[in-house]
Formats: sequence, structure tokens, C-alpha cells
Amino acid sequence: MKKILIALAIILLFSAPLIVSTPFFVHLMIMVLMWTVLGASWNILGGYAGQVSFGHATFLGAGAYTTMLFYLKLGIAPWYGIPVGGLVAALIALPVGFICFRLRGPYFALSTLAVAEIIRLVALNWESLTNGPVGLLITTLPPVTLFGRSIDWESKMPFYYIVAILALAALLATYVMSRTRLGAYLLAIREDIDSAEAIGINTVQARVAALSLSAFFAGVAGGFYAMYLRYIDPDAVFPIALSVEMVFIAVVGGLTTVAGPLIGAIFLVTLGEVFRERFLVGHLIFYGIFMMIAIRYMPEGIWGKLRLWMGAQH
Amino acid sequence: METLVQSLVSGILTGSLYAMIGVGLTVIFGVMRIINMAHGDMVMLGMYGSFWVLTLWKVDPFVSIVVLVPAAFLIGVFIYRFLLKKIVPSGELNTLLYTAGLSLFIANLALLVWTGDYRTIKLKYAIMPLRPFGIAVPIPLAIAFGMAIIITAALYWFLVRTDTGRAIRATSQEPEAAALMGVNVDRMAVVTFGLGTALACGAGVLLAPSLYLYPTVGEILVAKCFVIVVLGGLGSVPGAIAGGILLGLVESLGAVYVSVPYKDAIGFVIFLLVLLFRPSGLFGVGKS
Repeated sequence: MKKILIALAIILLFSAPLIVSTPFFVHLMIMVLMWTVLGASWNILGGYAGQVSFGHATFLGAGAYTTMLFYLKLGIAPWYGIPVGGLVAALIALPVGFICFRLRGPYFALSTLAVAEIIRLVALNWESLTNGPVGLLITTLPPVTLFGRSIDWESKMPFYYIVAILALAALLATYVMSRTRLGAYLLAIREDIDSAEAIGINTVQARVAALSLSAFFAGVAGGFYAMYLRYIDPDAVFPIALSVEMVFIAVVGGLTTVAGPLIGAIFLVTLGEVFRERFLVGHLIFYGIFMMIAIRYMPEGIWGKLRLWMGAQH
Repeated sequence: METLVQSLVSGILTGSLYAMIGVGLTVIFGVMRIINMAHGDMVMLGMYGSFWVLTLWKVDPFVSIVVLVPAAFLIGVFIYRFLLKKIVPSGELNTLLYTAGLSLFIANLALLVWTGDYRTIKLKYAIMPLRPFGIAVPIPLAIAFGMAIIITAALYWFLVRTDTGRAIRATSQEPEAAALMGVNVDRMAVVTFGLGTALACGAGVLLAPSLYLYPTVGEILVAKCFVIVVLGGLGSVPGAIAGGILLGLVESLGAVYVSVPYKDAIGFVIFLLVLLFRPSGLFGVGKS
């Protein structure tokens, strides 16, 4: 039953833009799926490991800039740059993790906020590399032929399928990770870090591993962001607000569940984008409202609540 | 030499306002263990409050503060009583996430109502700075400095000398023991949240003539707040005052002697170092 549902969902995922192909809908779906990747990324660290980070924009920005710079300076196409962006983000996560994981709980959250602000300021001022506040712009993407047809980068379809694959990969990685030894370590750390340490788990190593994996997907999403919007600047990819949005999508959707970030993204991003179409500004107002409602009335999130209703075992 | 004195003076002037915001955050943390992510948005509300009072009724910010601060106290009481109270027992991380939601809500509501335009407050007497001993001192900042000192000193006196103040400090040190001594811990929490909000809002009113106003200004202010309170030790009022002045000095000296673009980064670097090596603050008085 569960397998059939998942298969149906995947079929729906890949056929959705063929069924409804208005540009707004496809753009909305792309945004939903990109935020699914980001929410899933945050969920690995914030959900499974219970480490609240307010600095994930760092990894998104690192991925976005890597992808962009590889293309503009070295001529490496963005679809190779995206995984490289993920790797660079994962590498940056190592020193960040070894520094910040000396702290716990809210102090860890504050330290990630500080790191993110430092890195944003570096990106803003290291003009020889990042072009500073002016930002970086891609005018054209290199031509690609797939199955004998050249891909039309002016249409949104190819981007939809790229981000759909990325979102599936992020959710699959979450699932696989939750089944491994690392997943068990992280749950133990989340429940009680001192006990986890006492039974011999290297908590710093496990948390750094989770942060790295999480950063990889944030970086990948950042690379996709750069390729899709074709323009980035430090205030677009490094702001505190972006880090906070990731947190909200993961929490409202349902922490420590594989599908939670997807549900959170469908719910919040749809609300936000429709609101933005109508009012232009203030589209994050619902993020704030639903975050407060979620923490107050259903800390397990929308998906977690649904699963409880459906009588899931855990 | 003149540059040094100049940057020391402007550092202390801005630092006094940072201190005021920081004291608000630190008393809230001390009593309720709430890391209030929405604190910067209270500063923003204060800024907009003074802007609208000036625009609509032509009342100077340094006069309207007398009404706006009590109003902010009531807003704080309301927020605590109806929104935060039920969340606090579920732990520091939950309140952190909850107030982050509150912050995003307030900032976006402000964006909707007041748009994202940058606004400024123009005061007639603000055009020429005072020049005592050849050092430029902007008049609005000088008045704000004076008022910030008076307000912070009044708060300090309140905490140290009055019964309610003593009860608040007792709750901050040891809530259970305070409750056993007959302190109404719940009421202290309400009063403290109101006070913290009033301080943030008041600092916003005082800062408004010297800064640009825009709805998301709280985001960067709250980050600075955390730097201040962690420097001084979370929960410590004198620590927050010292931390505020210190951050003001670091920023103004950093801008002159290190680099203008990185002046904001210096504060965060010091913040990280303090968190890592002296988690109870530079003066070792905070709660880690």
C-alpha cells in the first residue's frame, strides 16, 4: 500500500507539468521543490539531530556562488557546478561544525547566526571573487542535446525536472540516513546528548557529519537557485531571512519525518507565492503565523499530525 | 588623535542605545529564559511609532517617547500573556523558534502596512552637529544618548531598589526559591517582558532620527543584540550595558582602524570567540 502511494506520488511529480503547464503553476512547482530540498536539508540537522541552525543560508549561498563562478570563470556548465556547489558547501560545513558544535541548544543556534552574518559580509566585500553587491549574472546557458533534442532553457520545463530529481534525492537521502547507524546516533543525540556521549557516541563527529550532509543539499539547492534565476547577489542568497524560511518549512511540515519538508514546502510556498502574486510584499507573513501555530498546537508538524491520525506506528 | 576621540565619542553615543536594547533582551532572558528573536522588531515598531506620531501630529520623537514607551509596555504584556506564556515551559529551543515566527510575522505585517520604502525622520535642529572641541556630535544622537542614560539608570534603580525589582532579580537568579519566598513568579514574568519590550521600543524611538527606517531593520538589530548580551553575559544587566558600549566602540573604532565594510563582522567574530571561550560573558557574570 505504502509503496503504491509512493510510486503514485513520483508519477504525479513527473507528470504534473504536463497536466497543468501554465507558467505560474510550473514556477510555483519549481519553487515548492527547491524549498523541499532546503527544508529536507534543514530537517537532517534540525529534525534528526535536533540542532537548530539559523545559518543555513551560508550553505545555500556557498553552493550558489560556486555554481555561478564555475560557469562564469571556468566555463563549467551549471549542471556539473550544482553537485560541486553541494560539495563546497559540505566542506565549509566542516570547520563551521567543529567550531559551533562546541555549543549546545540555543547557543549553537546563535553561533550559526553569527557565522552566517560573517560569511554574508565576506561575500559582500570580497569583490574580486564575488563581484560584491552588484552580484553575478548568467546571460545564456550552454546548449545541451538530450535524446537527440536540444533543451530549451527559455522554457521552465527542464528546470522543473532538474529540481524534481534534486528533491527526490534529498528525500531519499533523508530516508537512507535515518536507517543508518548515523541516523540512530543523531536521534540519540537529539533525545539526550549527555547520555549519547556516555554510551560512546562521538557526538561532535556525528553532528558534523549531519551538518555536512545537510549543507550538501542546501548547497545543491543554492546551485539550482543560481541556474534557475540566473542572477545572485549576497543579499539574495545569504540573508538571515532565508535561513529562517528553511527552518519554518521543516518545522511546519514536520520534523524528523522524511516527507515533512515536502508537505511544509507545498503548504507554505504555495501560500507565499500566491500571496506574492497578489500583494507583492510581505509574503512571509503566513510563515510567521503558521510557525507560531505549529509550535503551539502541533510541534510534530502537519505531516507528523497526519501520520498520527492515520495511525502510523512511529 | 582627533579621529580617535571622534570615533570614541560616536562609539559611546551609539553604544548607549545598543546597551538599552541589550538590557531589554537580557532581563527577558534572565527571568524567563526566552531568547527573544522578536526583540529587534520591537525596536522597529518604536522607530515607526515615532515616525508616524511625528508625521501625523508633528510631535517630536523625544517628546512622544513619553507615550510610546508605556504603550510598548502594554504591547509586551499582551504578547507575553496571550502568545508566549504557554510556550515558555516547553523549553528554550521552542521559544526561540516561536519568537522567530513572531518576528517574521511582525516584520511582514509592517511590510504590508508601511511598504518596504526607506524612510527618514528629519528634525529641524538636526542639520548642524554640535562641535564641542572640534568633535562633531549630531544633536539627535546626543539627546538620545542623554535619554538612554536616564532610562537605563531608572531601570537599574528600579531593579536594585524597589520591591518589584528585587522580586524580578530573585526570579532571575532562582525561580523556584523565589516562588517559595512568596514572589509571584508569573506576574514577574509579565512585568519583565513588558519592561524588556518597552526598553527596545524606547531605544527605537531614540534611534529613529539617526537611522533609516524600514520594516526588516529588526533582523540586523536582533543579531547585534545577541552579540551585546553574550559579550556581557546572558542575563546580566551591567553586562549588557558594558556589552552595548563595547559593541558601539568596536564598530566605530573598527570602521576607522580596520575597515569600513567589515566593521559589522568584527562584532560577530568577537561574539563567536566569547561564546566559545568565555560562555558566561567577558565579565564572567552571565548564565551559560
